Amino acid sequence: MSCNCAVLTSEENIAKNKDVYENAFRVDARPQAIEPFDKEWGVAISGNTPEPSPFPRINRILSVTKKTTNGFVAPDRAELVTRAYREHPGESRIVKCAYGIKYTLEESPLYIYDDELIVGGLGCDKKGAPVHPEFGLNWVVDEMRDGLMDYSEKRTHDYFSYTKDTQERMEALREFWNGHTVEDLTNSLAGEEALKGSHAGKGVFFADAYIFCGAGHLGLDYERLLSLGFGGIRAQIEREMSTLDLSRPEDMEKRTFYRAALIANEGSINHCRRYAALAREKALSCADKARAAELERIAENCEWIAENPPRTFWEAIQLVHLANCMILIECNGHSISYGCFDRYMLPFYERDLASGEATREQCQELIENFFIKIWDLNKLRNHVLIKTFGNGGIGGPALTVGGLLPDGSDCTNDLTYMVIDAHAHVRVPCPWLAVRLHANTPWELKVKTANCIRMGTGEPKIFNDDVTIPSMMSSGVSLSDARNYQVVGCVEPDVSGKTYGWHDAGHMNMAKVLELAINDGRCLHCGESCPRWSVCGKLGKRLGIRTGSLADMTSFEQVKEAYDRQMEYWCTQMVTLLNAVDKAHQALRPLPFLSTVMDGCVEKGVDVTMGGTRYNFTGPQGIGIGTVGDGLSTIKQLVFDEKKVTGAELLQAVEDNWVGHEPLYLLVNSKNVHHYGNDDDYADELTKFGMDTYCKHIERRPNAHGGFFQPGCYSVTVNVAHGVNQWASVEGRTAFEPVSDCMGAVHTHCCAHDVNGPSAICRSVTKLDHARATNGTLLNWKFSPSTMVGEVGRDNFIALLDEYVHRKGMHSQFTVASQETLIKAQEHPEDYRDLLVRVAGYSAYFVELNRQLQDDIIGRTELSFS
Amino acid sequence: MLKNTEGEALGVITNIQRYTIHDGPGIRTELFFKGCNLRCPWCSNPETVSPARELGVYPKKCIGKQKCGLCAGACPLGGESPLRFDGEGLPLPAGTAAACRDCFRCANECPGEGIKIWGELYTVPELVRLIAQDRSFYQRTGGGVTLNGGEALLQWEFARQLCRACREDGINTCVESALNVPVEHMLAVLEYTDYLICDIKHMDTARHKALTGSGNERILENIKTASEQGAAMVIRTPVVCGYNDGEENIRAAADFIKNELGNRVIQYQLLPYRRMGTEKYETLGAAYPFEDYVPPEPEERDARLAYLAAAAAEYGVNAVVGSEQKWF
Repeated sequence: MSCNCAVLTSEENIAKNKDVYENAFRVDARPQAIEPFDKEWGVAISGNTPEPSPFPRINRILSVTKKTTNGFVAPDRAELVTRAYREHPGESRIVKCAYGIKYTLEESPLYIYDDELIVGGLGCDKKGAPVHPEFGLNWVVDEMRDGLMDYSEKRTHDYFSYTKDTQERMEALREFWNGHTVEDLTNSLAGEEALKGSHAGKGVFFADAYIFCGAGHLGLDYERLLSLGFGGIRAQIEREMSTLDLSRPEDMEKRTFYRAALIANEGSINHCRRYAALAREKALSCADKARAAELERIAENCEWIAENPPRTFWEAIQLVHLANCMILIECNGHSISYGCFDRYMLPFYERDLASGEATREQCQELIENFFIKIWDLNKLRNHVLIKTFGNGGIGGPALTVGGLLPDGSDCTNDLTYMVIDAHAHVRVPCPWLAVRLHANTPWELKVKTANCIRMGTGEPKIFNDDVTIPSMMSSGVSLSDARNYQVVGCVEPDVSGKTYGWHDAGHMNMAKVLELAINDGRCLHCGESCPRWSVCGKLGKRLGIRTGSLADMTSFEQVKEAYDRQMEYWCTQMVTLLNAVDKAHQALRPLPFLSTVMDGCVEKGVDVTMGGTRYNFTGPQGIGIGTVGDGLSTIKQLVFDEKKVTGAELLQAVEDNWVGHEPLYLLVNSKNVHHYGNDDDYADELTKFGMDTYCKHIERRPNAHGGFFQPGCYSVTVNVAHGVNQWASVEGRTAFEPVSDCMGAVHTHCCAHDVNGPSAICRSVTKLDHARATNGTLLNWKFSPSTMVGEVGRDNFIALLDEYVHRKGMHSQFTVASQETLIKAQEHPEDYRDLLVRVAGYSAYFVELNRQLQDDIIGRTELSFS
Repeated sequence: MLKNTEGEALGVITNIQRYTIHDGPGIRTELFFKGCNLRCPWCSNPETVSPARELGVYPKKCIGKQKCGLCAGACPLGGESPLRFDGEGLPLPAGTAAACRDCFRCANECPGEGIKIWGELYTVPELVRLIAQDRSFYQRTGGGVTLNGGEALLQWEFARQLCRACREDGINTCVESALNVPVEHMLAVLEYTDYLICDIKHMDTARHKALTGSGNERILENIKTASEQGAAMVIRTPVVCGYNDGEENIRAAADFIKNELGNRVIQYQLLPYRRMGTEKYETLGAAYPFEDYVPPEPEERDARLAYLAAAAAEYGVNAVVGSEQKWF
């Protein structure tokens, strides 16, 4: 009777063929990453998960990866570059620079670590930071001497250790560089008027980011590099060089550029070969056969890519990593970014999968290894910059996925998902991920993105194609280039390999401009405590131009006009200083290696710093948008509409830092005054005016490298530093509190000014004209974890993203952490080493941030919906 | 029903919360109506209990009488003012100051949020205008407006007008109610209601009365009537361990849903008790009735809820823990 066939129940049948059934119900079974698109990693668990990767190798590497941005000073580069300059005294500057990078690539120490599949670094051990004396060496030597570089009470984060030997070697170079740095030349070019409001003066604006380091903020031309290889690039340089007519003066300059490019190119080829040799040497002495085979393969990869275009995913990712390291060795600019990774890597991925060269799992493992490699890189910053830039590391290595292709279709592919999975599997704050959304982004990608955000590491940020692309086109970027944009660093849209955008060039404190506008050009709290007192206030001078006092103004229109005029003046000063820095870069620090991997420089024979590539911008940001909006709103409502206080009384209250004016302090901080961020047109329209005025005075001004200025509207963390430089303000700040962050609403020590929840914020913020801020905008959201839980939390969050995209908001970043957790982490940092949070533009380990910035993040309005 | 001088209906609303996601489908704007006829000791909205407008006092948001004193100066009773201050000049919660004339001048004069009014008056058009600000979010998610409280149906005439106006404006309506009201009041509002959320706090009327001050007969009868009328309904039990988390109670509720309602509910939600709203009791000068209640550890509580949901599911009821699962 019995039959041997096992008869399965339908449930058993379904269980057995789970994959088949699940996929059968999907219209399109793609994407095929190793994780399902709707994989959940939890809500607000951040980095607090041991062994997050499915790959044992990755977890092993993570176990020896330091979760810190602290590092050490690596002296070799500074010496090698100095030697290059000394050995070629008669050469023009660009050739000296080329020998500098060549020597460094050929002689600095190399390392290959256990388990890794991708090699490359900055010519020093992990977490080491090379020194770039071209931008200034005095500060390095001084900080070492004064105890401001390594850990001390004065420097509690982003500190760098150094040996006595390193200190002596740097001191020995000091004399050579003294008076020959970008800083020296900038100061002589700019003049006193431009400096008085800068970092070197009162700090109305900062334009010093590129005085002490390279401009960075770009991505190389990945298609060019991956299709030509270093050998192909060399051939192209030689070809161009052969057509020159040296009797023509411009060709003579080109020849110098090409000579420099060839020297740098040779260095890059030899650098790859050195890694090949090192890997081979390690393979020979490696007892573990499997590892020896891996090392042998690494050697083959490096040997091949030294000159040839890569053939496989592994070779391609190796080349991408090494080329970016070389850019960083040449110039320590911030935010050297990784372009649209899921575009330029896709052909290699598809080819490998089709040929059987690699599996999806192997590619996933490589991406994860690659991410950790980026995190191992480091950069030296001075003790002042670490305060404006809250948490360092290499800084700004953005990597973009998703978005529209040049033909207008959606780009999403397996790699898009694999990149997001890779972040969830490594949970280090590198690279800085950006996901591009638009009206036709697939649901599955939105779910993947939302699930990653819900984890609470702050990654990824989301960018909106539907406003970014038209915005870039308004700056003259072609449609197909604009559709290929990457996000650079914290915020900025950029065409990788075609843009020298100076994207984060400066930061204007709009709130300080409003202060000067209503106080007749004089700082509030003007007095002996100001370092400029003896050259300014004491002599009866004032910092800004005279635009009248609020005490005397008889209509709100006069306030707006004063703000407009004061803003024009300060924008002019900032533009002047930035152009001086730009000129100094061109004169002293051309970038021959970078020029070889950018589009257009070799064709034109012009260095990238001098406008060699296609798009050339300078992008300084307006900061304190909310502070200005609420300030104008307060003045309009209380002084002119309701006449509750006089202009004189309001000015006196802020002059007195609100002491003795407490009821007024409460009033301006209360719901009884119109505030930005509440979907209230009264305040939102004034905020728009404040921002538009900044944009108006920046946009389209010519810059020094052949392009023009474009405004951005975000602060990253500079709002904290600007606040430290500013006395109280009319919207309810007390002295030295941060001004408002990015596009966000005001939150003062008294209270948050946005009280109507996320939909109101979304609507208020998108009443501003994001497209006009062609250098980028940013809104930081902070959600309480309970609101993100479950399907309801996920799908309504996606709806919020959709609406933000629909309403043409450009960019958003998310913190998902409870107030309670953040406060606990402040109290017991040792228990929260892995707590990654979104700062602004980037994620960082919370316990490594300075206290003010921690407080600023805790103070952001926590959005919870019941 | 309250009316303004133009004869327009007025609702007494304590709070308008935009972007709520747990009380009805999608993203919603939620209105909290003032006045309730149950007295649940775990209530997290004590300011909605009394139907009268009240003063809420937040001493922490006050800077003290010495520096400000505008509230005291505004009181028409002068020296007889019922406003009381502590030694540091901070106001004491009003409580039941018999002398207060409820003119709210003190709250209106307060420059900050030290004294606020619980219960603002709104006309229907004012509310519709506010609600419509998030229309695009509703359209994207199937959201709309939710009337909550307190007990929204105690202001049933106003609620009916508001729901009708929202519907006419293309905004769907959800009412969360204990349904402890005359059936005709319920039906009047239900006519313009798209979704109904109601509680079964206990199936045993004696226990229900002990918990809330009122028996459950009318509530259960109204739930049945609403169901018969075809209301799209979610039923909730706020599970308070030690009070109503007995398995037999949840089974009785599931049995009721199955047999009396023909299982026509979208979800049967078991909601965990959370200690919330205690600071609002303080603003009223009232004690939190559940002050001494010691809830179980979250893990233990969650396990209990999961167990109860599984028991309810045996009746074929779509029982879920929490409100994090989408309705549709």
